[in-house]
Amino acid sequence: MTGLSIRLPRAKKNRIQAGIALLGVVFFSAVFIYTFLYLRHDPVLTDLDRRLLGMSLQHPLGTDQLGRDVLTRLLLGGQQTLGYSLLALMVALFIGVPFGIISGYKRGLVDRVFMRIGDAFLSFPDTIVAIVLSGLMGPGIGNLVLAIVLVKWVSYARLVRSTVLSESQKDYVLIARINGLSSRKIMRKHLLPHVVGHVLVLASLDLGKIILLISAFSYIGLGAQPPMPEWGAMLNDSRPYFQSRPELMIYPGLAIVSVVLLTNMLGDYLRDRFDVKKEVQQ
Amino acid sequence: MSLLVVENLMKTFPGGKTAVNNLSFHLGKGECLGLVGESGCGKSTLARCLLRIESVDSGSIYLNDIAIERMNERKLYPHRKKIQIVFQNPTAALNPKLKIKDSIIEPYEQYRKELTLSHFSYTSKEAFIGQLLEAVELPSHIANQYPHELSGGQKQRVTIARSISIEPDLIVLDEPTASLDVISQGAVLNLLTELRETLHLSYLFISHDLAAVNQMSQRIMVMKDGEIVDQFNQEQLFSADRHPYTKELISIF
Amino acid sequence: MILSLEQVSIGTREKKIVDNVSLSIREGEWYALVGQSGSGKSLLSQAIGRMLSPNLQVEGKIIFNDHDLQSLSPKEIRAIRGQKLAYIFQDYQGSFTPFRTIGQHFHEYQKAHGNRDSKSRKAKTIEALESVGLDETLYKRYPFQLSGGQLQRVSIALALLLSPDLIIADEITTALDSVSGHRVLELLAKRQKETGCTILFITHDWRHVRRYATRLAVMKNGKIVESGGKHRILDHPQHEYTKQLIQAAPILQRGLPSGLEEVGSV
Repeated sequence: MTGLSIRLPRAKKNRIQAGIALLGVVFFSAVFIYTFLYLRHDPVLTDLDRRLLGMSLQHPLGTDQLGRDVLTRLLLGGQQTLGYSLLALMVALFIGVPFGIISGYKRGLVDRVFMRIGDAFLSFPDTIVAIVLSGLMGPGIGNLVLAIVLVKWVSYARLVRSTVLSESQKDYVLIARINGLSSRKIMRKHLLPHVVGHVLVLASLDLGKIILLISAFSYIGLGAQPPMPEWGAMLNDSRPYFQSRPELMIYPGLAIVSVVLLTNMLGDYLRDRFDVKKEVQQ
Repeated sequence: MSLLVVENLMKTFPGGKTAVNNLSFHLGKGECLGLVGESGCGKSTLARCLLRIESVDSGSIYLNDIAIERMNERKLYPHRKKIQIVFQNPTAALNPKLKIKDSIIEPYEQYRKELTLSHFSYTSKEAFIGQLLEAVELPSHIANQYPHELSGGQKQRVTIARSISIEPDLIVLDEPTASLDVISQGAVLNLLTELRETLHLSYLFISHDLAAVNQMSQRIMVMKDGEIVDQFNQEQLFSADRHPYTKELISIF
Repeated sequence: MILSLEQVSIGTREKKIVDNVSLSIREGEWYALVGQSGSGKSLLSQAIGRMLSPNLQVEGKIIFNDHDLQSLSPKEIRAIRGQKLAYIFQDYQGSFTPFRTIGQHFHEYQKAHGNRDSKSRKAKTIEALESVGLDETLYKRYPFQLSGGQLQRVSIALALLLSPDLIIADEITTALDSVSGHRVLELLAKRQKETGCTILFITHDWRHVRRYATRLAVMKNGKIVESGGKHRILDHPQHEYTKQLIQAAPILQRGLPSGLEEVGSV
């Protein structure tokens, strides 16, 4: 009850932020689902007679330099960018979280081995790994996702490990052991719930970074390969027409900015939310 | 017949500190054995050794005449359900993310197949938890609450409910009232005494509070620097041949 | 009267936590304020040195050595705190900065109150450590290298360093086990005899009240339910709550049915 007057504005700001983020997520998912169900144009079919058309009922955002519908490509590109980012994130989580929990709970040799492996991956920045991989295995979105996973899982493993290290010292974990619960059950029932919050926050903040990374790499031609639509690649494709048709660059640029902004707001909100809960508990 | 026999137990920590030094004692069925000592005297390490969450250097621990001190986790499993522990700090002993009912039911769910209850009976989860909460004098609605919504005394009652849920032979009480305020302390001690009678439990009651130990136990051991320096029946507390350290403790309370 | 509280209330805008409390403490006595956690006793003690967080408002008068503490400027209250009025807290870990040695704590404390001579500071520090039965070797140690009992002794030495008139000891034994708690209080009682300072002793432990206090007040839910001389209250508690508190604390039976004769000298 003390300090209520101080916390109120923060909570309010929080609600607004969460509202916007949620609305945005709903909007984007609705649009993507709609595109998936109802495609009016083939996103890759080139039609040089219809190149660089302006806005019309048939092509709400016009067509690009190869006569493809820009709106269709933008929406499909969003699916690609977001889809691959989420994929990379999920795989990183599925590797990082179990590694972290096992490492923090088992300690000893397991922990040392796991963490040294992690250190090895962490010593390369993600951009370098991505460039090297595409050099070795050829450019492509699959290799890019692999590079992101290779680098990102370590940060989740570390985050989870530090939480688990302190949490597994608590008496309730000891009592679970005394009551004969298996290690696997202790990790799942007692330790996993403690890391979910932290992991969600980091993941939502990471999502924006990954989207940017995928777009950037596609922009320089190391990510999505033509004719696949992808926001970064679309930016690059429309570069030569910047003088005559600047909106061709503005559309994907705007899309990237707004999605990244949204994920950051979502991350901020999640962080505040889990913070507050902690305060109340203590 | 002795429920628990400890013979020549030794435990030295890496770094050379001997926490438990050549300790021997026995604990009879239905008995409450008190163990008094200052912090750092090794009494909590002893408790952790008895529960096999700390390894033992040498010596033996017999539970119902079976040596358990070197069993591996799989062999130990059937014996684990016979000893429970209540720790000093109930806040740390309850997972903050679990509802009270889920914390209480954990030991029972683990052992339900090999367990026959005599005092409680399991018909449904709700009814069982209701019985347990009633046994520790808590209202049934807290089953759906989280630990941070309860007071320290209530939380300690919850951990007691959890430890009696599988009707163990022995409960190790490691300073169960040290983090509670005075009124809850008295109430929890009274509750523990009642439960021991109705459920035919045995206690190893560990505390630095000689007055509380004296109130609870028939037999008292005094521990200092890892060794038992004095051992006597409760009525002999004030007799002249007490160890000087026991006399010092008496003078405090 | 060295300290008197006149109708002191503490609370936020929404809720009163301490409600209209009056009490007065005589020079040289050991005054105990007894209550459970949440009774408001710690807030009250912090209000005396104006140590409450700013969202808590204090009403009423707090008069210490004929000064109305509420009306003093922040600078004046800082001068009084430490020199005339010292605190010892329950949380001995939190009372020390972990990366500074015990000696550095003493130096800083004396420097803050105007002692500029490093040699005299050191001499005084060692003298203070010895007065609480601690070795001079602790001078160079860090807080984490000391046990709880030792740290609480250091706290006492630090509190007594500038010979204050009043020491407020807030649950100083709660975080210690009963044996080291007892030793710390024996020491505090000894130092009180030597220096003649007054002690406001905040506790929930009747054993300590029985042994050391001269007078006491029992607090519940922000109000004082009963106050008076120790013997009067322990032998003839009037209020239900006091009776309940006394009954709840187990004591060893011998010779202490009323807590009277055995206690003896304070």
